[in-house]
Amino acid sequence: MTRRILAAFAMAAGLHLLGTLLIDGYSAPFAVRALLVLASLLAVASFGQTLVVLLGGIDLSVPFLIGFGNVVAAQLYGQGMPFALVCAIVAVLAAGLGALNGLLSAGLAVHPLILTLGSGTAVEGAVLLWTKGFPAGSAPQFVADFVSIGGSVGGLPVPLLVPATAVLALLLMLLLARSPFGQRLYALGANPAAAPYALIRPVAMAMATYTISALFAAGAGVLLLGFTGSAYADVGQPYLFQSIAAVVIGGTALTGGEGGIAGTVAGALVLTEANTLLIGLGLPPASVEAALGAVILLLVSLYGRTPPLRASI
Amino acid sequence: MPPDAARLIAEGIVLAPGAAPVTEPFAAGEIVGLAGLDGHGQETLLAALAGLHAPLAGSAVVPQGGAIRSLRAAVRHGIAYLPRDRRTTGVFATMSVVQNFAIAAPGRDRRFGLIDPAHRRRRFAAFREALSIVAPSDAAPITALSGGNQQKVLLARVLALDPRVLLLDDPTRGVDVRTRRLLYGVFRDLASRGLALVMVSTEIEELEHLCDRVLVFRDQAVQARLSRPDITAERIIAAMFGRAA
Amino acid sequence: MIGRESRPALVLLVLLIAVMAALDPARLAPRGWGTQLGLAAPLLCTAAAVMPAMLGGGGGIDVSIGPLIGFVNAVLVGVLVAKLGIAAPAVLVPAALLLGAALGAVNGLLATVVRVQPIIATLGTYLVLSGLTLTILPAPVGGAPDWLRALAGGRALLPLAALVLGWAALRRTPFHGHLMATGSDARAAYSAGVPVAAVRFLSYVLGGAIAGLAALMMTALIGSADPNIGPTLTLVAISAAALGGVGLAGGQGGLLAALLGGADIFLLQSVLTGFNVSPFVLQIAYGLILVASVSLNAALRRSGRA
Repeated sequence: MTRRILAAFAMAAGLHLLGTLLIDGYSAPFAVRALLVLASLLAVASFGQTLVVLLGGIDLSVPFLIGFGNVVAAQLYGQGMPFALVCAIVAVLAAGLGALNGLLSAGLAVHPLILTLGSGTAVEGAVLLWTKGFPAGSAPQFVADFVSIGGSVGGLPVPLLVPATAVLALLLMLLLARSPFGQRLYALGANPAAAPYALIRPVAMAMATYTISALFAAGAGVLLLGFTGSAYADVGQPYLFQSIAAVVIGGTALTGGEGGIAGTVAGALVLTEANTLLIGLGLPPASVEAALGAVILLLVSLYGRTPPLRASI
Repeated sequence: MPPDAARLIAEGIVLAPGAAPVTEPFAAGEIVGLAGLDGHGQETLLAALAGLHAPLAGSAVVPQGGAIRSLRAAVRHGIAYLPRDRRTTGVFATMSVVQNFAIAAPGRDRRFGLIDPAHRRRRFAAFREALSIVAPSDAAPITALSGGNQQKVLLARVLALDPRVLLLDDPTRGVDVRTRRLLYGVFRDLASRGLALVMVSTEIEELEHLCDRVLVFRDQAVQARLSRPDITAERIIAAMFGRAA
Repeated sequence: MIGRESRPALVLLVLLIAVMAALDPARLAPRGWGTQLGLAAPLLCTAAAVMPAMLGGGGGIDVSIGPLIGFVNAVLVGVLVAKLGIAAPAVLVPAALLLGAALGAVNGLLATVVRVQPIIATLGTYLVLSGLTLTILPAPVGGAPDWLRALAGGRALLPLAALVLGWAALRRTPFHGHLMATGSDARAAYSAGVPVAAVRFLSYVLGGAIAGLAALMMTALIGSADPNIGPTLTLVAISAAALGGVGLAGGQGGLLAALLGGADIFLLQSVLTGFNVSPFVLQIAYGLILVASVSLNAALRRSGRA
């Protein structure tokens, strides 16, 4: 497992080296700061997804909840509501949806892919209906400063977002390795049939995990509001596949029970490096998309392969 | 046997429509075997005793504790259950030996809110000794162990719940002879320390050799109740096939 | 033919038709049927295209199906017709089917030989195909041949009938049994001698070929090549198939289930737009119905088992 994570970090470093060799100014301070900010945003959006994947599920409502957090925060804050209250409302609503995703997927054994796709679609529809398709408002200045590429914190030439994401990653790693919740999460993902005998409550675990995922997604939406400055319901769409790709490139198995947060950090760095590199090479957006797809396929074929069926018999 | 020594009582448990109810106390210090041809009710009774499913009528009752309606309630009342199929309902293949051991009660190793790995290792060490678990290390993946050693880790998992009643579903299935002998010793030792053991077994010899009493099931009801010195292979087999024991 | 997992979809279909009959009986008049069928055909075919990979289970899913259709559409009109001047049905129809099947084969190889988890593999091809489509066709161009446009109305019945007949024939082959067995329990199927990997591979090829047909129907309907049409189709198609009762766990559903789900979504869109309801309400309804129907399906499955 550790080898896969190291491989992913090495891949990110390799891509960065390649970029530095090929593209003028790729390692310029501003470029590196931009890269770290973008990777942090992707990492935050993918943390919750990681926990859900460890559980053996998948959360396609992530991009919709990013859009939800983005638009609802902007709209409410724009109407003059105190920002703390705005965040509380966004968090409660997102948590409610996450809990529902967990309840239905585990309680009724509905496939989470379809379920979260449906619930996410409905939420986005509701947000669009509420704002009539034209969300207004923005984030308070301190959120913009928090994620600003030009920002700095203490002596570090990066905005607070970057160290905050690192701390968050460490806390989540601690949660997974050293809390009963984390241990039960791995167990449930590894063998759902054995979990009840080990006194693990599958429905409660799924509700908690999907709730965490929803909170991270909505939080990423609020951060993106500070980053882009204006609200946009589809702001999360690129994160639909990227959040899953970051998790898988980081060595977490989609079958559950194996992997972790460190890998996702590496996966987010790899994807951001690849994306920046392709754009830096001067490719048009369409070709960047195609090449990114090819890069994801290549990376995953290198070290994200599943064992053959005969190995499980 | 004084009635107050009963740790768990099957009270009129009906396993199938029309089947005779099963009423049976399980006392401290005894090993009770449940025998029968596959699917004749012995496993269903064991599962009902563990609170895993509600019988058609009757219930599993703990003296002064009331009826057992779920596995969690069973564990709260000191009843632990070891399921049959190691691979599908026992081990967590992606986790280490010590993680597999601790998973049923991860909260016990908590210090300042977090699991203390050293405490967890110490807790496991006692069971590793007692059950002579052979593992390359505590941190090795559970799948690196032999079937018998995996089974011992799973037994350690339920024993760590400090049960007063241990429900075992064919615990020596697919286990080598040496481990099997070791397990018999462990079971006797547990009984001598006052646990009540109830085990389903498909090995007639095992029942003969180990149990103080044997209930033989036929058509979802108890066909024969044998106790020493009547526990013989002939009697068990006769009852299994529905002939007078 | 229609399993119990498709019952909620069937009830929904009847309900939607009843609502339509109550609100606007004119739209149900037989002379409008042809037009409706032409409008529905691409969606029905797309839902059918995602179905085979889902039947095979093991996380089998082809999320690239939308961009795949978009790519075939772009190649047909943007390259073959506009650049090379080829418009004969004898070329375009096999070209669409073969290109679809070949791209499906790429997905199948990735999923079964390279053994990348299907959602990740097809997400990769999703990005590659949508990027390629925009590269070969930066903006929409018109010019679908007349014979193809003529398939847009009532004559859409022709390719749909071909699809249904083809599937009916397939059901009589060992492949169908193998696919369902693989989806229900891959390990048991493998132990029983079913070539699981080959069967799953073929399910992607089959889905690709059906996607080629869907691309033809889509081209017939819009009469042009549009690089932006593909990616939006994936989620609708997966939703339609799931709504119809094609289970993601595998081994559940079939062509009729997928078509039924597709018809549900088409009618839902048509009823709600008929009301002049905001597209946002349509989106909400669509999400809620998807959640409700898969939940109901799962609940029925549970009660059926108990």
